[in-house]
Amino acid sequence: MSLDYVKFSSGFEKFMPKEYRDMVEHGPFGKKISVSQMGSFKEVLEEHPMCAGCAMTLFIRLAMIAFPNPEDTITVGTAGCGRLAISQAAIPFVYGNYGDQNGVASGLSRGLRLRFGDKPKDVVVMAGDGGTADIGFQQVLHSWFRKERFTTIMLDNEVYGNTGGQESGMTNRGAVLKMAPLGKKFEKMDMVQMAKVAGCAYVATVVPNNPRRVESVIKKAVLIAREVGSTYIQAYTSCNIEYAIPTDKVMEDAKNVENDRYAFSEYISDEAKQYLTERYGYKEFLQKPAAPAAAIPNKA
Amino acid sequence: MYLVADIDVEICAAKSCKLCTQYCPEANTIQYSDELGKDKGFKYGSAYVAVDRCKGCAQCVWVCDNMAKNHAIKMIMIDQLPKAALTDNITYGEKSTTAVLVSPVVG
Repeated sequence: MSLDYVKFSSGFEKFMPKEYRDMVEHGPFGKKISVSQMGSFKEVLEEHPMCAGCAMTLFIRLAMIAFPNPEDTITVGTAGCGRLAISQAAIPFVYGNYGDQNGVASGLSRGLRLRFGDKPKDVVVMAGDGGTADIGFQQVLHSWFRKERFTTIMLDNEVYGNTGGQESGMTNRGAVLKMAPLGKKFEKMDMVQMAKVAGCAYVATVVPNNPRRVESVIKKAVLIAREVGSTYIQAYTSCNIEYAIPTDKVMEDAKNVENDRYAFSEYISDEAKQYLTERYGYKEFLQKPAAPAAAIPNKA
Repeated sequence: MYLVADIDVEICAAKSCKLCTQYCPEANTIQYSDELGKDKGFKYGSAYVAVDRCKGCAQCVWVCDNMAKNHAIKMIMIDQLPKAALTDNITYGEKSTTAVLVSPVVG
């Protein structure tokens, strides 16, 4: 939980594997990095067992690059595909029992504030649509109503991909899946609206076919969660196995879904706008100067 | 044998858009090297694939063909690649990486 843990124990450097040495010497810790530098530095995410071409993996990869201070971040997850990659990173990962990830993150976030005071320690929950909107729904909503200061990211693949293709609350109405052969009979849950009602300071929907946008959204959400309140990001991360999307068409699908029903949206409270502007120098929320009045011709 | 992505350095170094490095779902698999392009007289560097990490999804091929419109990436059987980058032979620098290309198939 600080730059002190991202270094070699004395005398052990030569025994460490190459990946570990690269991480210490060329990782993102203590530096400012962005997606434009990808491929030139050692990333915190390592090799993992997720499927080839998985859009969720791409989103997790981008999210880990976007964390403002990876050395001061803890991720919390739960059962589901995502944890297979999230746990394979040089960032401490807490595995909550199914559905209690937001409860665990609440305690963790409060504990870190007691222990470290003003020094920012970021807690980021990354869980699937089942973990967030179905099984963890109660704890997710309560953490938002309590305005717990951490970020919740839903990796929305619209299915229980890890257990064979059952419908989730986030599956679209009518979707036929391997374990939902009659098609889903109910509408997709509107978690974005619920997050706003519950008082989240920042709510965004995003699709991973725009890496810079993903980076910007994650940075804002994590920074706002440091002081203002709960933040929520809902990311469309298709399951190419359960929805039978050819791996080389995953980004085409993401683009189509973005145009169809997952358009980028961003809600940010006035308090959060002010915080980002004053504390971190964001300029996009500054009041634009009024257009100059039409010139009045001088009287002769 | 299985397919891995292979990047044509001459096409890539002429454009150097780096899009594939941002869209690969695997970390540190499509890497970027200044030297690969500059050694061949190009102004920019080129992307290359650490084939031991490539899972063969071909997302980079779609991105290169349809978003960048460079058509620089092809899927190739790994034993058809005479030389390729492997994670063990990649060295990180300040703003770029360097890779020693070797035969990816041992034995």
